[in-house]
Amino acid sequence: LSELEGQTYEAASARVEEIIKRLDSGEASLNETLELVREGKTLIELCARELAAVSDALEELRLDELVARLERESAG
Amino acid sequence: MAQTRIDDAAGAAQARPAGIPDSELAGPFPVGEYAAALRTRLRAFARVQLIGELVNLRPARARVYFELRDSAGAIPCAAWRDDWQAMLVRASREGTQASDALEGMQVVVAGGCDYYPGSATSSPGFSFTVSDMRVAGEGDLLARIDRLRKQLDAEGLLERQKRLPRALLPRAIGVVTASTGKARDDVLAALGRRGWAGRLVWGFAPVQDRHAAPAITRALSDLAAVGDVETVIVARGGGSLADLLCFCDETLCRTVALLGVPVIASVGHHTDRTLLDDVAAVSCSTPTHAAEAAVGVDCGQARARQAAAAGRLREHGRRAVLTRARALALLSRAPGAHLERQQVRLHQLLRETRAGARRRLDDERALSARRAIVLERKAASVQRDCNERHVRELERLALALAAHDPQRTLERGYALIESSRGESLPTAARAREVEELRLRFADDTLPARMLEP
Repeated sequence: LSELEGQTYEAASARVEEIIKRLDSGEASLNETLELVREGKTLIELCARELAAVSDALEELRLDELVARLERESAG
Repeated sequence: MAQTRIDDAAGAAQARPAGIPDSELAGPFPVGEYAAALRTRLRAFARVQLIGELVNLRPARARVYFELRDSAGAIPCAAWRDDWQAMLVRASREGTQASDALEGMQVVVAGGCDYYPGSATSSPGFSFTVSDMRVAGEGDLLARIDRLRKQLDAEGLLERQKRLPRALLPRAIGVVTASTGKARDDVLAALGRRGWAGRLVWGFAPVQDRHAAPAITRALSDLAAVGDVETVIVARGGGSLADLLCFCDETLCRTVALLGVPVIASVGHHTDRTLLDDVAAVSCSTPTHAAEAAVGVDCGQARARQAAAAGRLREHGRRAVLTRARALALLSRAPGAHLERQQVRLHQLLRETRAGARRRLDDERALSARRAIVLERKAASVQRDCNERHVRELERLALALAAHDPQRTLERGYALIESSRGESLPTAARAREVEELRLRFADDTLPARMLEP
């Protein structure tokens, strides 16, 4: 499941939709169902982390200040 | 004459406060007087015809303002409304239909310099007052932009940005816009409505003067390089084509086309499309739309969807095991249940058989009773008929017997000869054999004696 961690939000949420569609069809075997549920939970946690990352507080930065800081850091 | 008025103004300054010490320049003169003198001087310039592209057309109540530009420079122009209407009539005869259609056209204007000196409450301004105009053809500026668009298209630069993957939920967004203005507020408001509160990097840059294109280009390059920015918005409110020319800059457009970060442009409207709109990954009509395009999901709704999906997954996981466990339990109970079902079925059959037999017995009994009643009735009827017939037979026999009764014969006057022992003597020969006879009449018996013949 570690390879799931690198997925983007859109890929993860699309895969969750696919998983639920497959489970809703009732055609998955017990092993496949348990595997899909495990994968889905991992992806939902990833989506939740992505959502949490843009939900706390708006962080506003000025590009000129950011560039100046980076230049100072690289010079130092 | 203008020189005379300026000299007069210089004379009047004698009574006014002293000027800058050690300055060799004349004055100080009252600015209003100087402005009036300047207007006089400018109006004295020769009236001429100018050729250039008409841009930034702004009709006002009494006058119509615009600029005449070429690659080397520009001059602000103004025309009285009546003169402008007459010029439009001529332009329409030549094929240009509306005032807006003149924007960007190559025109020849006739007129002269003028200067509005302003007042204590109004601003001064220079303009070339136009009294006549002729449309000379499509503006070189628009033609140049069109050529550049085709060139960029031929190089495949209009498609590069559109092929870049765009994050549905970027953690960091860069915005290039003016530090003041409505576009900035619109972007912030739209992101707020999406429930997005990630990292926002503002790349402030002028968006409408000659410094704009290089500043925007630099801001875009820097944003793509720092701050983990996943999407960049270039935002500006609408404006005339002249205001938007900086977004048609070749260097800017080539830089955007080659950026590795998708750029969402919202610098104008559909009616005045810029080259940046063509090279950007997405072109939006307003900063609000650009912000909504940058964050492709409503974060609140997305959280609700994810919670619902998590619930459904849990339910599927639980049900997958539970359903199968139930099925197994059902299978393990199957033989016993089958036996039980068979027993129940047998009991049922037994009950049904008994009930059927009882019903049959009852039916037979009822049928027998009905038959007995019928037989009884028939027997009674037969008995009655039989009795009547017997009675009639007996009567007939009685009558027949009576008919043969000797008594009846005796009653008719006959007499029966019997021996003394009561034996009937039917013949004379028998009568001769006995001595004592008896004669029986109907009412009595008398003794008799045979006389010797």
